[in-house]
Amino acid sequence: MAAPALSVEQQISQLNDARKLVLQDANFYPQIIQGILPIIGPSARVEFRRWGADFLAETFASPHVPAQQKETLGLVVLETLRSMIEDPAEDSAVVKSVVQTAASIYPLVVRWIINNPYDGPTWDRMIAIKSRILRMWDSATIGVRICCIKFAQRVVLVQTAGPEADPKRGNPFEVSLTMVPQNHPLLAPRNLEAEASGLLDRMLGVFQENISDALLIDATLNSLSILIRARPHLANKILTVILNFNPLKQANSPMTPKLRVMVKSMEKTTRMLLIHVNKRDPQNPLAGRIHQYIERMMRSKTEIFDEFNRKRGPPEPVDGLDPAKRQKLVAQVNTSPQNRLHIPPLTPGSHTVAELFTITTDEALKAFDVAMLSEDLVVKIGITILQRINTDTLNQAVDGVRQRYQTVFAPQLVEGINPETAPLGVDDDDDDYDPDFYNAEDTEQIMNKLDNAPPEQEEAVARAPEVALGPFTLPPPPPITPEQATQIGQATVSRVFGNMQTLEEPGKKSKSGMNRLAASAYDRDAWITIITRLATRASAGLENQPEPMKEEHPNSASPSLSNTIRDFLYLYVLEDFRKRIDVAVAWLCEEWYNDQVKMKSGDDAVLHYEKWVIKVLDGIVPYLDARDKVLTRFLSEIPGLSIDVLARVKSLCRDPAMVDLALKSLLYLVMMRPPVREIALDAVEDVWNTSSDDDAKPMAAKFLTRWRPGFAERLKGPEDDEKKANGIAAA
Amino acid sequence: MAQAEVINGTAGQQLASNGEHADPGGFKLKFCTVCASNNNRFDNPLPLRIADSEKLTSLRSMESHLRLAAANYPVISFGTGSLVRLPGATITEPNVYQFNKTSYDSIYKELEAKDSRLYHANGILNMIGRNRGVKWGPERWQDWQIGIPRLQHSTDRGSEGVEGGVVDVVITCEERCWDAVIEDLHNRGSPLNRPVHVINVDIKDNHEEALIGGKGILDLADSLNKAAVEERALNPSAFDDGNASSRSGFDERVPEIIGEWQERWPRLPAVWTLAWF
Repeated sequence: MAAPALSVEQQISQLNDARKLVLQDANFYPQIIQGILPIIGPSARVEFRRWGADFLAETFASPHVPAQQKETLGLVVLETLRSMIEDPAEDSAVVKSVVQTAASIYPLVVRWIINNPYDGPTWDRMIAIKSRILRMWDSATIGVRICCIKFAQRVVLVQTAGPEADPKRGNPFEVSLTMVPQNHPLLAPRNLEAEASGLLDRMLGVFQENISDALLIDATLNSLSILIRARPHLANKILTVILNFNPLKQANSPMTPKLRVMVKSMEKTTRMLLIHVNKRDPQNPLAGRIHQYIERMMRSKTEIFDEFNRKRGPPEPVDGLDPAKRQKLVAQVNTSPQNRLHIPPLTPGSHTVAELFTITTDEALKAFDVAMLSEDLVVKIGITILQRINTDTLNQAVDGVRQRYQTVFAPQLVEGINPETAPLGVDDDDDDYDPDFYNAEDTEQIMNKLDNAPPEQEEAVARAPEVALGPFTLPPPPPITPEQATQIGQATVSRVFGNMQTLEEPGKKSKSGMNRLAASAYDRDAWITIITRLATRASAGLENQPEPMKEEHPNSASPSLSNTIRDFLYLYVLEDFRKRIDVAVAWLCEEWYNDQVKMKSGDDAVLHYEKWVIKVLDGIVPYLDARDKVLTRFLSEIPGLSIDVLARVKSLCRDPAMVDLALKSLLYLVMMRPPVREIALDAVEDVWNTSSDDDAKPMAAKFLTRWRPGFAERLKGPEDDEKKANGIAAA
Repeated sequence: MAQAEVINGTAGQQLASNGEHADPGGFKLKFCTVCASNNNRFDNPLPLRIADSEKLTSLRSMESHLRLAAANYPVISFGTGSLVRLPGATITEPNVYQFNKTSYDSIYKELEAKDSRLYHANGILNMIGRNRGVKWGPERWQDWQIGIPRLQHSTDRGSEGVEGGVVDVVITCEERCWDAVIEDLHNRGSPLNRPVHVINVDIKDNHEEALIGGKGILDLADSLNKAAVEERALNPSAFDDGNASSRSGFDERVPEIIGEWQERWPRLPAVWTLAWF
């Protein structure tokens, strides 16, 4: 610790004095900020990190500090902010303040980058902070999440075009996309705008959820007014979403005191924002709708809360205890960097024994001749050191020296290999080594490069007379058997899936519209796109060509990588098919597309789509319950339906509980997917024909009467029996 | 007109029960109280001190400001009206003063010179006299430069901790003050990126209700502060996990706290939102 003499309280009080100083005179900020950064770094106590994060948040928010100064200071603190926010174990109060600081700094940094396009490192830091914030947006504590929302709002403001004539130019809050030149090397206006649009969608997504958290709703609503005002082209979109939001929708559930506060709060906050919008711009195109909305809200609110007041019984018991708080006890095994001993590898060439054993990089120390000391003294020092030295450090040192030793003598060992007899197929053109970096290369590479030097260059030999430099060619790696290759492929694939698991629950999906590029974000969707395309397209046209139109050899001895991935995808979907049905659909769409492409290119393609649709369906069907909409969704979203698929659905009707679901899914297809209407109706009719179930028959009959011309007449006949059956059932 | 009192607790960290200053190391929320002049008793609102718009009715906001300051919370207070209005000799002749420019002391002296007996009798001089001891003069919410250091207010009661010029919680004493505060925050465009809870506690404008309201507000402040302190203390070490969804932080407990509080104080209807400075 820097000042062990002072207690935490004393140091905090010193910091508070420093804060008072800058509050009095903003000119001291550069000094103070520079001074505190080392104190509040990631290794400091949590009290200091909290203080520091709060101080930074205050500093960059303060109207008291000139924007110019903030811009400069922002560059200074960026690295500290990044290290704080990237620490997954960071205290959430610290994270909260860091996110606030980032929201204040973001426009400043963008402005700096606009004017200083060479400063890539700064922009990289900002990007790192941004992506970390956007990643924690859905998973952090709510207190942090609201700040993430605010950060996103700030990013949207910066990355969208402002009104043309901006009278407040120079105001740091007025940074907008219009200031970014089209050819800026770091900032591509189109990408920035697409990102902003995605972020705005993500912000507005909170209004479309079933259960609304008042805190998130309020935080969003209260941050939107500036966007509506300063970015008129976004206003319509924002207001439309808000007008479709019903803050009272949770009022039907039993009203706990907390829920009452939340519903009231959401209603009032929504209303306040809309009133504000209409007050500021009474001519806006949505003014009429806003007015209606406000009136309606007022009425429903009065109804709900007045009724509540009248009925209000004795106070309900308040559930006092929060869900047991879990404290994570992560063993903190920190190998601090100081413990790692750096042993610089020897440069190629001849070395003395002393050089071999010298591991310090301090030139002055190297020059010191130990022979000047008396033998006694050396022995004494040696013993003392050996008693105290950390075993680990000693081991590292010994290992380092051993490695050097082996490096020096390695050439003699490889001398035996005759390059001329080295296996063929290994090109000697490893000449893309950059000689500037040879110190950083590993021994083998260095040796190899020396070997590749033309033999007539005698300097090479002269430079390294002690190391015997036989010509040397790196032996090729042992060939991989197909099994090994498959194994490695599988390992890779399962790692990607492992990664997807950790990215689970992306929460609200941002819709980036037509501009998006598949797999451009590193979220779950992106990985799914990659993995499905790897499965479907990577080996397209390479498999089992000779067997035309064959549905994939059923018992391929060694499964291809593609099929491995398919199996993984299949299991991945089935693991939690309700949540992952979108993955299944995305995957099957790729399969279908690929099949189409292959069929176009030649008629000997191996088709996968149909096989996997059936497989997925078979996997899901046994676990469906009567209220699963997932089946309907699946059937309506996959790109192609066959009679086989519908037969599966039909078979569901054997279970009385599932009749409703199965038939409704079929009806949906009849209504919404005209191309399969006929086969879907056939399936329904089949149900009607074969079912003995009292539920299925009338329901099927109802659909058929409506959709299949002529069916009503046919129905007349058996109607009597039907009625009897129903009568019995009803009795 | 509304008056709001804001108590800023960020800097001050003493507990309400503590004595004068400094229980070192403790965390305190910063509050701001804002009052609207309801004019139940006095037709005109009187802005009281503490950066809140306090009106004559500011009985309410001043009561809360005083209580919060006495409990060692950092607090500032404002009024949201356009002018500071105090009842005059007749209902058509109110005493009107400008916000930010008139000190309580000068108001006191002027009224005392005008009609000492009348203003003593209607309690206005008592109130102004009390306010003299709290802060220099009435401040208007809309003129408050949020985030500008308030070091020059160091003689105001409750000023310790609000030097930074921001607060964590704004408490208004009337719904229209709450509306005025929210509207004003919308207009400002949230440049500071700092979350603030804005709570209205509806207090009827009479002496009795002002007393009850003051107690209620203190209870609310204590409950909120307790949650904030707990959040800070929950994971004092670095083991804390910013992603742990199992622990609930201060912000997310606010609706629950207000709900519970509302059960205890059914006569003080509350409205809350999370807004941005």
